Amino acid sequence: MDERTLAYINLYAVLGSLRELCRLDDEAKRLIKGEDISIGFSVKGGPEATLVFKDGECKMVPGCESCNIKLPFGSPKKFNGLINGTVTPIPSKGFTKIGFLLKKFTKLTDILTSYLRPEEDALKDERFFEVSTKVMFYVIVEALCQVGNNDKIGRFSAGNTVDGNVKIGVKDQFYAYITVKDHHLTPHHEEPAEYMSYMIFEDIHTARDLFDGKINAIVSVATGKVRVGGMMFQVDNINRILDRVALYLS
Amino acid sequence: MRKLYEYPKSRAAFERACKVIPSGIYGHQGPVEGCYVPIEAFPLYSSKAQGTYLWDLDGNKFIDYMCAYGPNILGYNDPDVDEAAARQRAISDCTTLPNPVMIDFADLLVDTVASADWAFFAKNGNDVTTGAIMTARAYTHRKKIVFFKGYYHGVSPWTQKVDYPGVIEEDVCNNIYVEWNNFEELSRVFEENRDQIAAIIAQPYMHGNFMDNQMPAEGFWQKVRKLCDDTGTVLIIDDVRAGFRMDLAGSDHYFGFKADLICFCKALANGYNVSALCGRDFLKNTVSSLSYTGSYWMSAVPFAAGIACIEKMKKIDCPRILNEKGQKLKDGLIAAAAKYGYTLNVTGMPSLFYLRLADDPTFMLHQEWIAQCVQRGVFFTGHHNHFINAALSDDDIRETVEIADEAFSVVRDRHDK
Repeated sequence: MDERTLAYINLYAVLGSLRELCRLDDEAKRLIKGEDISIGFSVKGGPEATLVFKDGECKMVPGCESCNIKLPFGSPKKFNGLINGTVTPIPSKGFTKIGFLLKKFTKLTDILTSYLRPEEDALKDERFFEVSTKVMFYVIVEALCQVGNNDKIGRFSAGNTVDGNVKIGVKDQFYAYITVKDHHLTPHHEEPAEYMSYMIFEDIHTARDLFDGKINAIVSVATGKVRVGGMMFQVDNINRILDRVALYLS
Repeated sequence: MRKLYEYPKSRAAFERACKVIPSGIYGHQGPVEGCYVPIEAFPLYSSKAQGTYLWDLDGNKFIDYMCAYGPNILGYNDPDVDEAAARQRAISDCTTLPNPVMIDFADLLVDTVASADWAFFAKNGNDVTTGAIMTARAYTHRKKIVFFKGYYHGVSPWTQKVDYPGVIEEDVCNNIYVEWNNFEELSRVFEENRDQIAAIIAQPYMHGNFMDNQMPAEGFWQKVRKLCDDTGTVLIIDDVRAGFRMDLAGSDHYFGFKADLICFCKALANGYNVSALCGRDFLKNTVSSLSYTGSYWMSAVPFAAGIACIEKMKKIDCPRILNEKGQKLKDGLIAAAAKYGYTLNVTGMPSLFYLRLADDPTFMLHQEWIAQCVQRGVFFTGHHNHFINAALSDDDIRETVEIADEAFSVVRDRHDK
């Protein structure tokens, strides 16, 4: 596993999923209500992006130029340490706003963890199950792009992938798509107007079982629980990248 | 309009299979690698086969254009091949000492295949492509192998890509991939890897999946042959898929050059399990040195079947009749598509044609049409080349074109609404 790729996943897929969390979870919505603050993550030899909390929403923008709080990390490994709880960040900018970082932001990431690494019992609650699965879905889509763009083997798969949009989603519920352009992958959190290939889960339970490794992906396609079609060569390569996502997210 | 086929018994069997067999049906004959889109349009198991027909578990009859992915060249259960096999089975099959029918089969291949001075037998195409690579490396004492992008040479790790499950970088680190028909790139690769390339391995023309098949450019093979001669590189032709559907003397012979090693399987014995690596005299000692064999590689029944198959293919001039049948079908399918305003690309040799509806780059329209054909009794698949067998009649071709026409009309209606 490559630390740099993991850093891209941790920033764009894991912390990036705060965007969905703040849309879906009431407590998260409450925490960011009225806030106008941004946290920049600057990883030497790795990714650089800013989480912006404003107007009751969260979004991630590239770069750290206009952040209120800046967290520098000496290496991808150090940044990955923040995510797994072994490294405490020291801001290089924004000491006056550190309260948000220590309190509300920490609370947000705790909520996120509860959805991404849920207790078995918590999933029995229908709403929790839905939010958890949806957040996990977008984490996977984002992580897929980061693996395709950064991991050595992932880049090989992306190098074999033709241009165009790949539609991914849960039938009639939520969708995302990945734009492949010159073997670079870009995620989008919405249904595409046009697409070259698709991978659609029959229902949210199928999606969840696949994410949790409880059912076999090949059998799911063979039994119609997952629909795959269109430019098969494209979706086949995307699936090869998806296989490597599990390696990083596990 | 024909009644659409349904497959409840196939589905039930598949559910049973999934409990005890990984992915139910693995590999290219399974619904996932086979690209069955949508899954409901395709049968999953057969109950019997005869001639050019296949029946599924639900009793639906198909004109089968996959021919078991190639082995069916004379027709399922060809009486001459089956009789030869039965005769040999009554004598011996898998025994401690091989039966001399093995020598008869090797003699026949040497007489039939232009570039063959000897024959080495195994079971599957992958066995002989792997044997060919081992031979090239043993002979040249070099590591690297050149492939043409879009290739398929089997399933051993060296044939796969670094992003395939179970394959590690070391399995493929000596593989070099170049574009088909790009001699300039090939020459550059040889310059950059001087005295390191053991072999070029290639199909006689590009019949990869998901793309129109491409014939070699004028003079391409002759230039490749010379490059191999000039650099001491072994030229391997993987004729597993195209073998005997282009030229009984080998597909290299068809294109006017001589391979150093040539691999056969599929059509070699009309469905009996045998493959053959044939080659030129200078590599015979090297093949002898390989530690390479298998429990069933000298079974006599497939050898007897192979002899009968080759003799019959010679007698009926099999490649010619397969290409004539394929051409009739190709003309009919293209005309049926045009009637509904579609452009159907039919590429490759007519005897192993590849289909692609050119009106939609996503393949979704193509997948719809294929599904409609299958549900009416023509077994096509979406993204693999198809195969013609000698038992296919003019009536079968006529019926296929009628079904294809009906399928086009359904797709057209659906998209006009």
